[in-house]
Amino acid sequence: MSLAVAAAARPRAAKRERLARQRRRFLVWCLAPTLGVLMAVTLLPILYLVATSFTPLDPTNPATAWNFSRPLLNYRLMLSDGRFGNSLWVQAKLSFWTVGLQMLIGIGFALLLNLRSGMLKALRTLFLVPMVLPPIVVGIIWKVLYTPDISPAFWAFKALGWKVATPITSATWALPSIILADTWEWFPLTMLMVLAALQTVPEEILDAARVDGARIWQATLYVVLPYVRGTLMVAGLFRLIDSIKAFPLIYLLTDGGPGSVTEVTNYYAFEQAFNFSYVGYASAITVVLVTVSLALSWLIVRLTGWGADE
Amino acid sequence: MRANKAILYALAIGLSLLVLAPFLWLVRMSFQTNAQIFAFPPHLWFRPTGANYAALWEGEFTRSFMNSAVTSTASTVLAMLLGVPAAYALARMRRRSDALSLWIVASRLAPPTAFAIPYFLAYRHLGLLDTRIGLIIIYLTFDLSLVVWLMRPFFETAPRALEEAAWIDGAGFWQALVRVVLPSAAPGLAATAILCFVFSWNDFFFALILTRTRAMTAPVAVVNFMNYVGWQWGRIAAGGVMVMLPVLVFSLAVRRFLVSGLTAGAVKG
Repeated sequence: MSLAVAAAARPRAAKRERLARQRRRFLVWCLAPTLGVLMAVTLLPILYLVATSFTPLDPTNPATAWNFSRPLLNYRLMLSDGRFGNSLWVQAKLSFWTVGLQMLIGIGFALLLNLRSGMLKALRTLFLVPMVLPPIVVGIIWKVLYTPDISPAFWAFKALGWKVATPITSATWALPSIILADTWEWFPLTMLMVLAALQTVPEEILDAARVDGARIWQATLYVVLPYVRGTLMVAGLFRLIDSIKAFPLIYLLTDGGPGSVTEVTNYYAFEQAFNFSYVGYASAITVVLVTVSLALSWLIVRLTGWGADE
Repeated sequence: MRANKAILYALAIGLSLLVLAPFLWLVRMSFQTNAQIFAFPPHLWFRPTGANYAALWEGEFTRSFMNSAVTSTASTVLAMLLGVPAAYALARMRRRSDALSLWIVASRLAPPTAFAIPYFLAYRHLGLLDTRIGLIIIYLTFDLSLVVWLMRPFFETAPRALEEAAWIDGAGFWQALVRVVLPSAAPGLAATAILCFVFSWNDFFFALILTRTRAMTAPVAVVNFMNYVGWQWGRIAAGGVMVMLPVLVFSLAVRRFLVSGLTAGAVKG
């Protein structure tokens, strides 16, 4: 290297380093305000929630605020609270049936719509409608269907001479009617996720299965579904976490009743906090729910590598 | 083979009608008078009436509708202004943080009571109950994480050569970001903004707890018809249609991004 070139390279290297430093600073400035705001709007409230869960807070009684004399009282109360136990059981039933049905229907419809055809592609969009409706509109739609005076389904029953009880006020049918409405609302999401995964199945392995004499249902069951099992797992987990958040349908259709037949844990926490004003106890219940969804979210982050390039 | 295909088509069309029927029934109801709604047997054909919509237009509902529009738009704009540069920075930084990912996905998936309780308590002291500002802030809890995680992949795939060329031409980092990087990510920006708007617009739980009258949003107003005004089904249906109209149009326009939007970016659609 001649002297002149070396002399010219030194300032250029210095300049490049300065640029890199400035660029790093610029990126930090892009990120810092957002992290600050995100911390203020999400992390601080959660810390506040955890703190509240150690107090017997009842906003109508100022003496209960920031009273940490018996920090574990709420958590101990939970263990002996039959209604809380019942809410967990209702939640388990709701989650099991909605996630199961949405997966089955989602997979079935995805397999049906995956055929190469322009018309089926157009139909796909129609199937998305339930999932993009505002949740309260879904609630209104099903309230209409479950109200005997105005429901087309009940007119059909009447015309057939059947006597059918109003499902949302019946102890037996209230939960199934929530499950049906929730399945209708959310099967399109699992369907979309499975459809996206089906596009990644390579043609070769299907051909190979066909050459080996597999029938179409065998190829589907033993080749295609195992190939997309990762997506199925993530779809199921997402619906599972979302089923813990169930609220608008229950609020509009049954209000947790009759009795506490449809009172899931999230709904029970809402009632404790905003109907009975036992905010401390509701916070403790919510902390338990947050812990569960945090664990499930962590599973998702592990499973997907967080949308990082596969 | 052709017969098979015909059966499949018929099945697909039949199923789509079955899925859409409950939704179409509500739309139909919104154009009926109460007498028509309660008629048995139902009239197959009827003369549609706009009375339900007219009644909404004259009542308090317009104010709630405006509240929804203002809070959803404002939180979307704020989330985009803050979140887009952050997503760009995350895409250009070398290190990935699992903790940050978990934080963001968890804040998106946490049960709503987890935020409703502390916000309710804090707003009582700050005087933010029943205000639009209060709603805009709580909508940031999900909008901001949505923007960061939807936009990051767009910036990751955008070629770096363009912005580097802009620096060499003497553009500042901000200029390069605004003039070169953002235009190349325009479709992603539009889809992300729409999804933010839709999620804020659809919110029912936070508005139910944090507003009373002045800042009440359209979804809460419709539910109040049911609980307080009595069973005016035509008006309820019309309110429902008004609430879903903007959302339906917007979300079908960005259906390609729906999956990643609804799964907080974990799954690409």
